[in-house]
Amino acid sequence: MTWDFLLGQFATQFGLWWVIWPAILLGIVVGVLPGFSPQNTLIMLLPLTLAVPVEQALAFMIALYCANHLAGGIPAILVKIPGSGGAAATTLDGYPMTQKGQAQQALVLCFTASVFGGLITTLATLALLPWLSQIGLVLRSVEMVVVMLFGLTLIAVIAAKDFLKGLIAGFFGLLIGVIGTDHIYNTPRATFGFLELYDGVPLVPALIGLFAISEALVMLEEKLIVGKEGQAKAVSAQWAGIIDGLRLSVKYWWQIIWTAFVGLFIGIVPGAGASIAAFVAYQQSRLWSKHPELYGTGIPEGVIAPEAANNGVTSGTLVPTLALGVPGGSTAAVMMIVLQYHGLVMGPRLFATNPEVAYGVFVSMAVAYIFMIFTILPLARYMSRIVLIETTYLAPIIILVTIVAAFVERQYLFDMGLALVFGVIGYIAHKTNYHVTAILIGIILGPLFEQYLVRALRISQGDITILFSSTLGNTLWALLVLSLLLPLWRTWQQKKALAAEQFGEER
Amino acid sequence: MNKAPLGADLIIPALALCFAAYFFFSIVDLAWEAKANGVLIGTVLIVLIAIQAVRVGMELAAGRGDLSLATLVAPRDALGKRLGMVLLTVIFIAAMPWLGLTLSLFLGLAAALYLMGVRRRTQLFWVPFSVAASAYSLFIALLNSDLPHGPVENAVTALAALL
Repeated sequence: MTWDFLLGQFATQFGLWWVIWPAILLGIVVGVLPGFSPQNTLIMLLPLTLAVPVEQALAFMIALYCANHLAGGIPAILVKIPGSGGAAATTLDGYPMTQKGQAQQALVLCFTASVFGGLITTLATLALLPWLSQIGLVLRSVEMVVVMLFGLTLIAVIAAKDFLKGLIAGFFGLLIGVIGTDHIYNTPRATFGFLELYDGVPLVPALIGLFAISEALVMLEEKLIVGKEGQAKAVSAQWAGIIDGLRLSVKYWWQIIWTAFVGLFIGIVPGAGASIAAFVAYQQSRLWSKHPELYGTGIPEGVIAPEAANNGVTSGTLVPTLALGVPGGSTAAVMMIVLQYHGLVMGPRLFATNPEVAYGVFVSMAVAYIFMIFTILPLARYMSRIVLIETTYLAPIIILVTIVAAFVERQYLFDMGLALVFGVIGYIAHKTNYHVTAILIGIILGPLFEQYLVRALRISQGDITILFSSTLGNTLWALLVLSLLLPLWRTWQQKKALAAEQFGEER
Repeated sequence: MNKAPLGADLIIPALALCFAAYFFFSIVDLAWEAKANGVLIGTVLIVLIAIQAVRVGMELAAGRGDLSLATLVAPRDALGKRLGMVLLTVIFIAAMPWLGLTLSLFLGLAAALYLMGVRRRTQLFWVPFSVAASAYSLFIALLNSDLPHGPVENAVTALAALL
């Protein structure tokens, strides 16, 4: 790969602006709606992508994919309804920022973290592709068990206010996540006799119910979702809010970079995805923060970490697709179908036979991110005014439109009913302080944790010591233990310092 | 002294306990690989629920709480709207296969706005109309999704065929 080749690729992709821009706009519109994942949007648009030349199809799919990942954070910040599982962690600090009247800043942080996180990891992927493709081979089921545990420890973090209630919510979610057929014999478990649950509890109805419907039902208590201070700030939203958001983005530039790389590494592992990456990045960000106690109260780092990781995943999922011919996720699988239809076979040979496509994917992604920041940034000022719509109108629209979106992923009416059931559970959990995010983490990570654990145990014929059989795995175990002990050590240090301070005052 | 309404605090544990019991019942005859993870999670969950029950029991015994559901139903003036909205959503889901996406969304939203206290006819028409038209444009016309088709979708298709 020479500089001339690379510059030529960038020039070609910039020339496809007329394909990229509509794809970005469509990606943002469908990304805001929970239920419209990039893969089902791309499946619906297959007649279009199969009909146009491969370069245009690729640019369209990549731009839509990246924009979709970015847009999921918008409703998560404004109305506490994540547009996708990857944005669920964004609600933890994004929505409190909105309630404090900092919706504009939170949106700008979401956009810059997504765009620059995505852009940096895309450029890193371009430069390090041969080495990165090995990560998927190194991280096996044993190591992935520990990665899943990193995400699951977030339940304990969320449960900080009422530890017992948080753990009950988390384990309830984990048990719901076990619904469906098992990974070895395909025997159904706790499906209530519904065939629709044989594949497990679908994430989209769970997400819509636990966040959108439950939040809309709670919303009815107030006239507006923000307080008087928030209203005043939203009414007088000026460009200064955007500039302040940009200032915060520059201030936390290192946070954007390292959490984006968390997303990239997790995205490379086939089957892992944006949801895991976002939760792990949030947990790690909190762990290494100087003020972990402020997470969940509406701080910039809490928005940056999941959003940067969420978009770091976009380039990661394409690494095994292109380098090994193994789709890194469902969206990558759809892209693979389109490329194969055009006669391109995925795998290492693609870089020799069609380098303009193999590298073009990542160049296209970088160009899409550049276009995206100029498209979406000015919109933050106007989007932040959504909080001024009265809940009388907002709540019914949210409930009925998101219920419709629950249908889209699998095309079952059953999923709409399931979303309503989760909505009622979420409402009860919300009102009684059983954290819905803890339930969702269980539902998302539970099945994956089981999948990797059972696979590892199957390989070892039931010998649990396999979990401690690899150097990388053991290093991850050590880091996990460290991440659990570090907060305890910090608390002990703080108490010690406080005691010393009080003793000094008494003297 | 105001007593804490602890009844509502037991709903999620009760739901979780019922589900755990059903889960254990459903996996009795399965191979260990199929049930190991669930048994582990379910057991921990039951232990946690037991601790919560003891905690609530101690509060009740000390006279600091009662079993009322006040947390869940408060504020009372929003309760009717909430229950109405849930009922309306059930009807909306049930009616969609016959009415199709556009008409059911229009009628459902109009009814929901009325339930929320909106009485101005222009708003009762134009808000549902614009949402239903947007949903039709995005889901049916642009993305050609398999959402249920009804009289509106069929009429538009027939009209398009004529043109």
